[in-house]
Amino acid sequence: MSSCTSTELLNRRQLLQRSAVGFGHLAFTAMLAQANPLAPKQTPLRARAKRVVFLFMKGGPSHVDTFDPKPLLDRDHGKKPPFDLPRVTFAQQGNLLRSPWTFQQYGQSGLPVSSLFPNVAQCADDLCVLRSVHGTNPSHGGALLKLHTGSDNFIRPSMGAWVVYGLGTENQNLPAFITICPTLAHGGVNNWGAQFLPAHCQGTPLGNASLAATQATVKNIRNHRIDPWNQRRQLDLIAAMNRDHLRANGSNQALLGRLNSFELAYRMQTSMPDAQDISKESQATHRLYGINDPVTEDFGRQCLMARRFLERGVRFVQVTHSDSYVQWDQHSNLYHGHTKNAAEVDKPIAGFLRDLKARGLLDDTLVMWGGEFGRTPTAQGTNGRDHNPHGFTLWFAGAGVKGGTAYGSTDDYGYYAQEDKMHVHDLHATMLYAMGLEHTELTFRHAGRDHRLTDVHGDPAASIFT
Amino acid sequence: MNAAGLLSNQLVFRPFQFSMILTVWVVTVTTGTAAKRTGAMSLEEGRNFWAFSPVGDRAVPAGESNPIDAFLSPELADHQLRRAPRADKRTLIRRATYDLTGLPPTNSEVQAFLKDGSTNAFEKVIERLLASKHYGIRWGRHWLDVARYADSNGLDENIAFGHAWRYRDYVIDSFNADKPFDRFIVEQIAGDLVPHASQETITATGFLALGARVLAEKDREKLMMDVVDEQIDTLSKAFLGMTISCARCHDHKFDPISQKDYFGLAAIFRSTQSFEKGTKSTIWKVFQHSFATEEEKQQITEVNKKLGALKSAASSFQSKETVRIRGVARSKATEYLIASTMFDPSTSLEDVALIADRFDLHPRILHHCRLHLKYHQHDDFFGAWHGFAGDTNAIARHYGPLFTRAQEAFAKSYKKDPKKKTLDDPELQPAHAALYDKSGFLAVPPIPALVFDAGKLAELDRLQAAATEFESSAPDLSAAMCVGDGDVLEQMAVHVRGDHMSPGEPVKREFPAVMRWSASRPVLPAKQSGRLELARWIADTRHPLTARVFVNRVWRWHFGRGLVGTTENFGVLGDRPSNPALLDWLAHEFMKSGWSVKQLHRLIMNSATYQMASQHPDASKASSVDPANQLWWRQEIQRLDAEQIRDSILATAGLLDESMGGKTIPLRHGQFVFNHTSVDRTGYNERRRRAVYLPVVRNHLCDLFQQFDYPDPATPTGNRHSTVVAPQALFVMNSPLVMDAAESLANQILDAEFPEDSLRITEAYSRVFARPPTPVERQRAEAFLSAGSRRESWSLFCQSLLASNEFLYLN
Repeated sequence: MSSCTSTELLNRRQLLQRSAVGFGHLAFTAMLAQANPLAPKQTPLRARAKRVVFLFMKGGPSHVDTFDPKPLLDRDHGKKPPFDLPRVTFAQQGNLLRSPWTFQQYGQSGLPVSSLFPNVAQCADDLCVLRSVHGTNPSHGGALLKLHTGSDNFIRPSMGAWVVYGLGTENQNLPAFITICPTLAHGGVNNWGAQFLPAHCQGTPLGNASLAATQATVKNIRNHRIDPWNQRRQLDLIAAMNRDHLRANGSNQALLGRLNSFELAYRMQTSMPDAQDISKESQATHRLYGINDPVTEDFGRQCLMARRFLERGVRFVQVTHSDSYVQWDQHSNLYHGHTKNAAEVDKPIAGFLRDLKARGLLDDTLVMWGGEFGRTPTAQGTNGRDHNPHGFTLWFAGAGVKGGTAYGSTDDYGYYAQEDKMHVHDLHATMLYAMGLEHTELTFRHAGRDHRLTDVHGDPAASIFT
Repeated sequence: MNAAGLLSNQLVFRPFQFSMILTVWVVTVTTGTAAKRTGAMSLEEGRNFWAFSPVGDRAVPAGESNPIDAFLSPELADHQLRRAPRADKRTLIRRATYDLTGLPPTNSEVQAFLKDGSTNAFEKVIERLLASKHYGIRWGRHWLDVARYADSNGLDENIAFGHAWRYRDYVIDSFNADKPFDRFIVEQIAGDLVPHASQETITATGFLALGARVLAEKDREKLMMDVVDEQIDTLSKAFLGMTISCARCHDHKFDPISQKDYFGLAAIFRSTQSFEKGTKSTIWKVFQHSFATEEEKQQITEVNKKLGALKSAASSFQSKETVRIRGVARSKATEYLIASTMFDPSTSLEDVALIADRFDLHPRILHHCRLHLKYHQHDDFFGAWHGFAGDTNAIARHYGPLFTRAQEAFAKSYKKDPKKKTLDDPELQPAHAALYDKSGFLAVPPIPALVFDAGKLAELDRLQAAATEFESSAPDLSAAMCVGDGDVLEQMAVHVRGDHMSPGEPVKREFPAVMRWSASRPVLPAKQSGRLELARWIADTRHPLTARVFVNRVWRWHFGRGLVGTTENFGVLGDRPSNPALLDWLAHEFMKSGWSVKQLHRLIMNSATYQMASQHPDASKASSVDPANQLWWRQEIQRLDAEQIRDSILATAGLLDESMGGKTIPLRHGQFVFNHTSVDRTGYNERRRRAVYLPVVRNHLCDLFQQFDYPDPATPTGNRHSTVVAPQALFVMNSPLVMDAAESLANQILDAEFPEDSLRITEAYSRVFARPPTPVERQRAEAFLSAGSRRESWSLFCQSLLASNEFLYLN
């Protein structure tokens, strides 16, 4: 432990220089080590991406209606599925159901995208469609937890927390991991939690799924009762009291850290609202994200905020498409529900990808899109689809992924992952690989053993990168 | 010397050499836990490992009147260190009061103690505090950390545990009554099976029932085994300081626990009933035991009837209005098709609304109609629309009569046969089908907010809110969340790699081999799960771990660090005791006292070690010899826990409601905390009772808890963190809770009769710090208060005191 001389104690600026700690998530134990755990870290592998953004479609968008065309479904519509159903299914399933949408090839690559995503389709050459993803749990809660934490029966750190643990962050005045309008159901906070990882790794939620993006803020980020002049002099008073107390108690890192934390909090009060203020963006940008249209406004705002966080060096951003219903969960009325959902996100996502590209951010940003599972090619009722964790689609863009390609496949009807199967653990390993992290090396010792995001599984799909 | 060397029995039981202590500590801080991986231990080696050896009856070293001091002094002397002097009385009473009640001492309690010159003045304070009802709140809460207590499930489906509070109250009452800890153990594991089982003992088994479960799990056997695993994990960490659940998939990698040991226990818990029998819905129902009288049951039937009526009022209003909107749209079907010619599918809703307005149509339905037309351009019926290429007259001529004729034909057909849903005329049937298809071209979005007008929406909200309000405050049948016995398995197959689909060799119900103190095995009853025998085995004075683990917890909760640093892991990867003899002596004394927890507090708090100052006259020398204070040469400065912070802010401001017990989660048992609607009903900020009575909603803890290191209520925690992060500062700077408290405190001081402000400053310092201000502090306060408006400055000043380190840290 170092000791503080009284001159240092009296000089706030020096104190701050001595421990410039990130969004304030600085743990006491880390201070003992005299290092900021959120400082950017060197990666063991080549880092293709510096940051990750996950566009999460809550409820389970149907892969066979979006990015994984299945001609045999058209042919065999209404027939009994010619394969065995899994031992455990969420609901009872009927016969095969063809997609109400048509697929068309796009771009140089000719990657097929359904008519649900006419705008995203224009970015087809940037997408690497992962068609062979599979998980384990057919219920929303279990599947959300599996996708976000790698475990559906224990509470484990979320993937964003692991990334921050491994890489730190580039902007010390903003949280390292931000999740915008997350759902509080189906795992809720565990989906962005740090669990046994250090507290500074956990995600900072802005609002939640029941709030509009306009209301998504960090709690207590503003004082609505007192003016800045009064708050400034109040902080000076607290600092004076805390310096006296510190002097009387000898050198104590926790007391010193807390003294400094007030100044950091004070800075955050400006940096955070500033990053969120999209009024500074041009009208053209607003239109690009569909913020001028009530259908796309909310998700457009989330995406634009995400871009502002990413360009400021936030390491992991999640954007959730969910409202007060289980958004993409069309057990019935697939047609209507998916039309509405796709209409809300299609333009903002395309705008987001174009904007990242235009700003040169797409090269070193990994964009991930998808839900907690896909949907069955069989019908539930007459016009819906059930949950399907056995084979579904996510897509990646940016970070040097091979654009305009599809990786892996499901069977002819889209029920099971078949070629180059990519389990959720493999997906995590691939995401970490893009970040320059070896998933077997990113470990944390807890409760008697070394834990990983990928547990004891996972293989990165290195071939999807150029 | 390396960490592996520590495993040697010989070394562990020899008095610690200092270099060893240093080694252990350094490893601890750099890896986050403890010693390095060494490979699994054999059963024989395990029986010699310190934690599995019998608790020794240690002789107290001579030289000190208090045995705790006597055990610690020789090592201090070996390192030429001296114990810090006794803390001043103000520090002592503050420390003890927070420690035993979680609250600050009142100014008058401090003054009384300062005036009491008797030699046993501090002893009297301890006795007063142990007798306070707030003692159970503080120490019960410690146990609730270990029991991963919560009022909701969290995990996948966050439903309210409307009966969990009975377990919470049981724990608080047990600590207040100084219930012998061995009895407390048995009740929590097998309170339903003990002779003369009562409401109290059945409630105690909530310990096994309160875990987070995957309640929408479709794979029944997987769920059952996950629950068994959670119960084994909680039980073994809580009482035995072991991570037995590591052995679910394979033999424990480090500790001498085999997969067979795990399944011996698993058979006991698989024979235990954790869910209601016959659960058929998507969400599993947690087991409960009803205490309801016939009269209560009748009342609840009435309540349920009323709730049903309120819910159906809301849903029928919604469906009626939807049907009405659908009817209006149907009557304008042709207009929708005409208006659809005036824009293309990518037009924004705003622009569509302008067109809809002209035709008096609903913009959302019109927008959808246009999309529908595009998607169905190849269907016969809507293909025609595309064929007309925007010719509105042609569209009107084609579809208008078609719709009219179809409606007329259907009216006729309906008169003849109301059950017939289709028309035989092949020309009219498609028109009829299109008109009546709920997800067809005139589909009404199922989200009322998008289609209802403001008045109807408000009415629907009102009806829904009425149902929710009624449900949230509706009583439940009196019941405990608990476990019972299920179908008894005398043996069960080991699951190869933990996979319940891969059965291996069968094993009988048993207790882990390394902890058995007798070769003769207990006979488990054929018609009971065996939980009672397991509970008695754990609570036996011969068990090597039980008393050690608990006295270590109590030490941790008093001092901020255990004699064994890893409170939940006494295994190979856990820390070694910094003073094994003291740990054993405490465990032995604890059992000898009849497992009295209050007696344990007396032993500890009357020691000079407990009463040391946090400052040391020769701190620089002591910290160079033993930087981590492993030898206990001073007390550690400790930050208040989350609950202490909140309760002291409210208490200091005179806002704390001290009432005890009862249900506090504002939801009915089984009601969703959040379903799809992430709407918050917890009302954390308005609550004024002690923090232990704030509902513990998994996945949605109150802000202050989240910021100030409240444990994750899904896993047993004996060692809370104490982090320093900036959002904590935001909380004390900007949260309504702190600002309201500061304002209230300021108003009380301003409105009281004082001849001058200088005395008001003294009053503020007395109330917050239980001491007068120094001249410098008084001057600084006066300068601060002379600027700005008076009430506001006083409020800011009081908030500053509440935000200060002196308030938040204990010496």
